[in-house]
Amino acid sequence: MDTIPIRSIREIPPEENMLSGTPACAGCGGLLTLRHCLKALGEKIVIVNAASCFTLLSIYPFTPFKNSWLYTAMACAPAGAQGVRDALDILIKKGKLDPEEDLKVVVLTGDGSAYDMGLSSTSGAIYRNLDFYYICYDNEAYGNTGFQQSGATPFASRTATSPPGGARPTGAQLQKKDLFEIWNSHRPPYLATISPAYPVDLVNKFRKAEQYKGPKLFISHSSCPPGWGFDPSHSVSLAKLAVETGIWPLKESVHGKVEHTFVPKKFKPVEDYLKEQERFAHLFKPVRQEDILKSIQETVNEYWRKHKLLS
Amino acid sequence: MLRLRFHGRGGQGAKVASRVLGTAAFLDGYNVQDFPLYGAEKRGAPITAFTRISRENIMERGVISDPDIVIVIDETLLSDPKAMPLSGLKKGGVVFVNTPQSPLESKERYSITDHVITLDLTKIGLDMIGKPVLSSLAAAVASRIAGIGEDALRDALEKELSGIISDRGILEKNTEAALYCYDAVVPVQMKTTESIREGENVINIPFETARVSSPAINATGNTPLRRTGNWRVFRPVWDYDLCTRCMTCVARCPEGCIQVNEDGYPYADYENCKGCLICARECPAKAINDVREMHSQSEEGEL
Amino acid sequence: MGKEMLTGNGAAAWGVRMAEVDYIPAYPITPQTEIIETIAKWISDGAMDASFVTMDSEHSMVTAAGAASATGVRTFTATSSQGLLYGFEMIYTVAGWRVPLVMVNVSRGLSSPITLGPDHNDILAIRDSGFLQIHCETCQEVFDSILMAYKLAEDERVLLPVIVNMDGFYLSFTREPVEIPDVETVRSFLPEYQPEHAFFKPAQPMAQGVAVLGGEFYSYFKYQMHLASKNALEVYKEVCGDFEQKFGRKYRTIEEYMLEDAEYVLVMTNSFSTLGKAAVKRARENGLKAGLLRLRVLRPFPDPDIKNALKGKRAVAVIDQNISIGKGGIIYSEMAGCLYNEINRPLLLSFIGGLGGKNISPEEFELIFDKMIKAEDTGIVEAPHLLYTENEWKEMAGLKEIAGKG
Ligand SMILES: Cc1ncc(C[n+]2csc(CCOP(=O)(O)OP(=O)(O)O)c2C)c(N)n1
Ligand code: SF4
Ligand code: SF4
Ligand code: SF4
Ligand SMILES: [Mg+2]
Repeated sequence: MDTIPIRSIREIPPEENMLSGTPACAGCGGLLTLRHCLKALGEKIVIVNAASCFTLLSIYPFTPFKNSWLYTAMACAPAGAQGVRDALDILIKKGKLDPEEDLKVVVLTGDGSAYDMGLSSTSGAIYRNLDFYYICYDNEAYGNTGFQQSGATPFASRTATSPPGGARPTGAQLQKKDLFEIWNSHRPPYLATISPAYPVDLVNKFRKAEQYKGPKLFISHSSCPPGWGFDPSHSVSLAKLAVETGIWPLKESVHGKVEHTFVPKKFKPVEDYLKEQERFAHLFKPVRQEDILKSIQETVNEYWRKHKLLS
Repeated sequence: MLRLRFHGRGGQGAKVASRVLGTAAFLDGYNVQDFPLYGAEKRGAPITAFTRISRENIMERGVISDPDIVIVIDETLLSDPKAMPLSGLKKGGVVFVNTPQSPLESKERYSITDHVITLDLTKIGLDMIGKPVLSSLAAAVASRIAGIGEDALRDALEKELSGIISDRGILEKNTEAALYCYDAVVPVQMKTTESIREGENVINIPFETARVSSPAINATGNTPLRRTGNWRVFRPVWDYDLCTRCMTCVARCPEGCIQVNEDGYPYADYENCKGCLICARECPAKAINDVREMHSQSEEGEL
Repeated sequence: MGKEMLTGNGAAAWGVRMAEVDYIPAYPITPQTEIIETIAKWISDGAMDASFVTMDSEHSMVTAAGAASATGVRTFTATSSQGLLYGFEMIYTVAGWRVPLVMVNVSRGLSSPITLGPDHNDILAIRDSGFLQIHCETCQEVFDSILMAYKLAEDERVLLPVIVNMDGFYLSFTREPVEIPDVETVRSFLPEYQPEHAFFKPAQPMAQGVAVLGGEFYSYFKYQMHLASKNALEVYKEVCGDFEQKFGRKYRTIEEYMLEDAEYVLVMTNSFSTLGKAAVKRARENGLKAGLLRLRVLRPFPDPDIKNALKGKRAVAVIDQNISIGKGGIIYSEMAGCLYNEINRPLLLSFIGGLGGKNISPEEFELIFDKMIKAEDTGIVEAPHLLYTENEWKEMAGLKEIAGKG
């Protein structure tokens, strides 16, 4: 893989390693993320997948991929990656596989696996310094089962299991887990957040990660039209708004040292992002829930102040 | 017993339609069963839903393979070799098609010999609700054909939709549009004969080695065969006079179905473009327009 | 190499070493841990050339093992009771991948209450998964079965994973002489694994274990597993023939002990079969035509062999070292299903014994024979009977008192 950073979308590799015709929803932000990740990674990969929306990318007898794929189960894709990686190493060592024919092992899961059920197997894989990539497309809920609350669901979001009602008008009552920090505490060689709206940043992060042996981890904030409740055509603009409001910081960590890769010159108010989505509609209608809107803004401000990027 | 089968795509509302009809028939005093069948659960994928309506106890379960009434919410499914909405329809049965075409045109196009009723639900949805949400409209059409009373339909809409639509205004628009469809359909006297399905041969399946019989796919990149192009409600159309060849649309398409021609201008693979319109929205030069899809040329080659 | 005093766990480790396994993902649990510790030490000392990785759970362990097997290397792993249940989801999953993984389960009773002694509720819980099951009575058999398991699993007509079962403590920690053959003979029996259908290569990408939607398609894949498992009965016979030729020891799906002319038959599995054999011998000395049938292969279930062996018997008592709460013995039901359509089928009695490793005393065996004779006289078969002695009851009473249940 080329390691020189690209500067514009014109330099994104043109080859499509995932073909069209998948069952993913029209306008799926996760799919757009994956498309760019696969361009960055090239064809010689094997994807190890956990139960999620993207399990349905390959439904017998169809697959969109030019590369190999292994579906495991919801909790254990990183363990599957361990088995595949170790086996490939054994085959190379025994002379049964040409090192030129080696494959990158890429875990692909949703947030439900990454933040919740698969946390232990991921922690194990990072701890063992497994040489693999992890792409988590974070649509902030259990999407495949109909958008229920997960550890990645942001505060105040409506989900199927956190419906705002008369007695609990807030929606989700808990704060989103900080998976970046959880993973970063393992000091992996490379860790980054990415966004489908910033493909240049995305591709460059993969290029940078390439040089490291060990876990290379990516969390993508992935707009989800049916789950979040917006028109599919807004998928990219909404993902962009998440970054421009400071809700989704684009950053990377090399051996635990965190740098932001994009800091908006002026942060847009979080409301601009929230009001575009039905999952937050109850914050505006029938009555404006001012305290909640304030607290969401404050949480974002606090983050950037902590990183001395906001005064 | 009346057996109704709804054919739509995920997100269009076939499931809710079958429920609304079920509840309406229930409120009208019938024995009822309704049941959705979905696979991938993703927007756009073909979905079937069923409603059984009877004065007697219903001694059936599962899919309806010999419907009296077929409600086709998504016209493109009629030419989908996997969905096959007309399969098993009883002689003398009724087919409803959501289409701008006349019944006669539909009959000819899809070689249907049974009674056909058509109405452009998508247009009605767009005009009256502002979105191509078709569940209440399809339920209304089905209720009318099945002979369910208007009051029962109205109550059923309230009961089924109030849980999923929080906005009162939108709910009312749905009801209004639904009742409009209810009135627009001319009821028919239905006389279906018993099922005409052919008998099945029950067989013993032979052993095949794991090379063949493990759930593994040895082909690659074959999803384009699924032709998700027929999910589209709107089609992106490029205006090369405005296009600056900036490549934004190419980078933004989740499906990767925008290619570049020899002159550097982008074009979509309409066979699989799902019509999300991200490209149109993101184009800085506003060079991509959205055109309502009629799918009237959905046959191969004519796209 | 000749004979060595080895525990069941040691024999398992030796089996893995002689099968020249490439990869062992592991996770500790009593009474299995000695297997992985032994292997880890050999690898560390350079005596064995393989990769070993300690995983974060059995769920991960079975996943890694299955994934490595799917990538094309010979893989082994082992667990027991709680661990097997923790990995349960992946047992089914890996079987569906149709990969020739070999596992050992060291049986141990299941929680609650948590315990250490052996019974077979753990291994029987995965009965329907697609894993073939071989149950062992001796440490030698553990060693031999691992070699046979790979040959069976890797056969193109089968391609299903195999689990080899031994009892915790009574085999796992029990030493007896075990013959370890030389590596060349083993290689001639079990050649290097050359995967034909399961591997990831850039030149031949494949999507493995994908979703299958639609009952008509799902049925196909599941039933093919069943057909492959059924094929394994034939293949197993070939493997046994080959094994006997190379190593001189003879195995079948079932073991018949004094069965030929027997009229009253015990059906047992695993290490306690030895106790059953002793009981049969004593009964014979007392003039009763007793015999024992030990089930060695439980999946595929060897119906034809069982039917054949039990033809014309008067009464058969199944001693289940497991309990299906609310039903009784699991193997009893399987035996009943196997024999039901036989003309002249024997009376079939059900006993639950040895739960959590509880001993089965000579008196308890005598009771079983008495009940068989009585049933034959009266034609009445009683409900499943828990083997339990008065002394055990008294001991239990003492414990209850200390526990403040008086
Ligand atoms: C052990 C287990 N529990 C529950 C499920 C059901 N399940 C399938 S996908 C899914 C949601 C996964 O959510 P996430 O990882 O966020 O991915 P998404 O669906 O949002 O793409 C769940 C709960 C399962 N497959 N396995
Ligand atoms: S539900 Fe959301 S994440 Fe899942 S396929 Fe649809 S858009 Fe993508
Ligand atoms: S985004 Fe617009 S201007 Fe840019 S290449 Fe596409 S159509 Fe042309
Ligand atoms: S409408 Fe969506 S799927 Fe179609 S070309 Fe545009 S971005 Fe791609
Ligand atoms: Mg999710």
